[in-house]
Amino acid sequence: MNLKEALKRGETGPLLDANDFLMQRVAMNVVKLQKKYDVKWDGKTLVNLDDDLADRCWAAGKELLLTAGLYGANSRRVIEFSPAEVEHALHFAPHRLAMGQGKDAVKIHHRNVEDPRRPFIFAGPFNANTHQDMFVKLNEAFAQERIIDCLFLPGYLNTLDGLMIRPGSGLSSRAAVLYGQWAREAVRRAGRPGMPICGHAVMALNEMACTNEEWGLRQSDPRAMVLLSELQVDDVTLARLAYYAAYGCPQYVAFTPLVGGYGGGPDGTAIVAVAAFIGSALLGGEILHLGPQHIKYKMQTNQHSLFLGSLAQQAVNRNSHLITTTSHTTAGRPGSTQYAYEFAALELAVVPSGSNVSGPRPAEPLGFNNVSPLMARLFAEVAHAAAEMTRAQAAPIVAALYEKYKDKISLEVAPKGLPFEELYDVDTLTPRPEHQAVYDEVKAELVRLGVPLGS
Amino acid sequence: MPSAEQVYASMRAAIENYDSDAAVAAAKEAASAGLDPTKAIEMGFAGPIREVGEAFHRMDIFLPQLVMAADAMKAGVAVLEAAIKAGGGHLEKKGVVIIGTVEGDIHDIGKTVVAAMLQANGYEVHDLGVEVPAPRFIQAAEEVGAHIIGMSALLSTTMLFQRDVLELMRNKGLDKKYFTIVGGAPVTQAWADQIGASAYARGAVEAVRLLEERRKEWAR
Repeated sequence: MNLKEALKRGETGPLLDANDFLMQRVAMNVVKLQKKYDVKWDGKTLVNLDDDLADRCWAAGKELLLTAGLYGANSRRVIEFSPAEVEHALHFAPHRLAMGQGKDAVKIHHRNVEDPRRPFIFAGPFNANTHQDMFVKLNEAFAQERIIDCLFLPGYLNTLDGLMIRPGSGLSSRAAVLYGQWAREAVRRAGRPGMPICGHAVMALNEMACTNEEWGLRQSDPRAMVLLSELQVDDVTLARLAYYAAYGCPQYVAFTPLVGGYGGGPDGTAIVAVAAFIGSALLGGEILHLGPQHIKYKMQTNQHSLFLGSLAQQAVNRNSHLITTTSHTTAGRPGSTQYAYEFAALELAVVPSGSNVSGPRPAEPLGFNNVSPLMARLFAEVAHAAAEMTRAQAAPIVAALYEKYKDKISLEVAPKGLPFEELYDVDTLTPRPEHQAVYDEVKAELVRLGVPLGS
Repeated sequence: MPSAEQVYASMRAAIENYDSDAAVAAAKEAASAGLDPTKAIEMGFAGPIREVGEAFHRMDIFLPQLVMAADAMKAGVAVLEAAIKAGGGHLEKKGVVIIGTVEGDIHDIGKTVVAAMLQANGYEVHDLGVEVPAPRFIQAAEEVGAHIIGMSALLSTTMLFQRDVLELMRNKGLDKKYFTIVGGAPVTQAWADQIGASAYARGAVEAVRLLEERRKEWAR
């Protein structure tokens, strides 16, 4: 199985209505597989400690992919796979991948459960709406954090020169070009000209216009694509996969299984997540990003998503050598302590489960530039510390952190936080004292709780 | 001949079991027993479908069950509506809703949840699907005599098509005719105000609640 064959099946596979795919092939099969493999959440566990459950979840997810396939959302045809093709893809998937250039080149690798090696850090604006006037400064402030391995999704330009950008328009091509130029300028200003930039310029095929070896995103930069929930892929993503595969970019494929959706609860949705991990690898994905969504809370640090993240990551990382990461979106926003407690809780759940990390970002950013490079530094420090912990050591800390914010996970009541330009002195690109104080307070509390962050 | 209470029990069971075929059969039984169709809908379908909506909100059940229950209700109501029309009457509906995901946006689930929750709360919902061009929202609303137009956008780059629907309505002189409601991950109250939408809903529960609260603005 390769991308060429997957694209062919996307044009020739069984024709099916989208609702039939979701109800018959996904929802019904998840219910059957949950029973067959006894994949069940006990209603309280936040970090899975049961290896056998993780292995059953892996078996169920693999069987789900074989019975459901992936749905071509535009062609309405199902891309089906045989067991041999799945095994072949898993065997030949990379376990290590280089990105970036020169002295700024870095490697990401597969992590085992309770792997003491440090996780790879994707951090940056993470597609929060970013104003063109602040784009370079904001990304420079992220890139100057040496602990960040890869500048992550340098920000959505949804307006340009006062106009909203229509997908597919000439304006969006111009925005994609500027995105590439400005992101490259930011890492150059930070003294890391070869730092990898994980990019996703605009929401249409012409996002590829940000690609240029001199001024834009390069062959050595991972390119991000997102599957649709559940187990669906659209033409824009397939077209980008085809182009970036030919161009030689590392392929960063994300998927967003929805708790409360067609997979049911966190246990059934973990099965869907495993199927999406494997399906993404079959499409040529090399860095596989789990971004669990929640039908009610719309963020990723609720109790369901903590459990799902830990279980699905353990399932995949115990049973394959795939390179995985987990995104971190929160209810609280930068400038609040809750923001950091939330992303720390999820990191402590998924890093000992074998994940690398991507993020952080508020699930509902308010206005432009609602992200913080200083919080990305803390995010990276917590991820490194979490690699020194077992799941059993991390679990009570996750529970303690969850207690701190569980009553404020509704996006309406969560702290609204502040934009970058109010958290930072934008001339010196240093955090304002009040923002630094939040960092110091949270770090001290995490140390008190037992996270090995040092002083 | 079953009693009215037995027929209502069959109707309730059909919704509770998410069974469209059973809902149709029970509705046919109600019609052939000569029961008042409007009362049958209220006694047989309305209670359990509201309970399904509440169970979904509590996360006791999930999206597949919500969709199946809403489909069962729709199928059963269609049978009873036909009986009402055959008798020369017409079914009083709570409100008629056009809903869809805007142009350039293929995301379906959020819109499907809102559609199912509105159906579960007694609205007649016409789901136009995804990637719906701006003129199609207006054309469909005119065709079915809608009260409400709901527009979903999951991407910050497709939100502007919500603006285009409202601008087109103003250009056609139809902006006062429909109650317009916008939603989706990047959508905010500020955006709704900026483009002149009647309302913003963060999610399905909020959509149902605000339509109840602002009934006077759209009922006619």
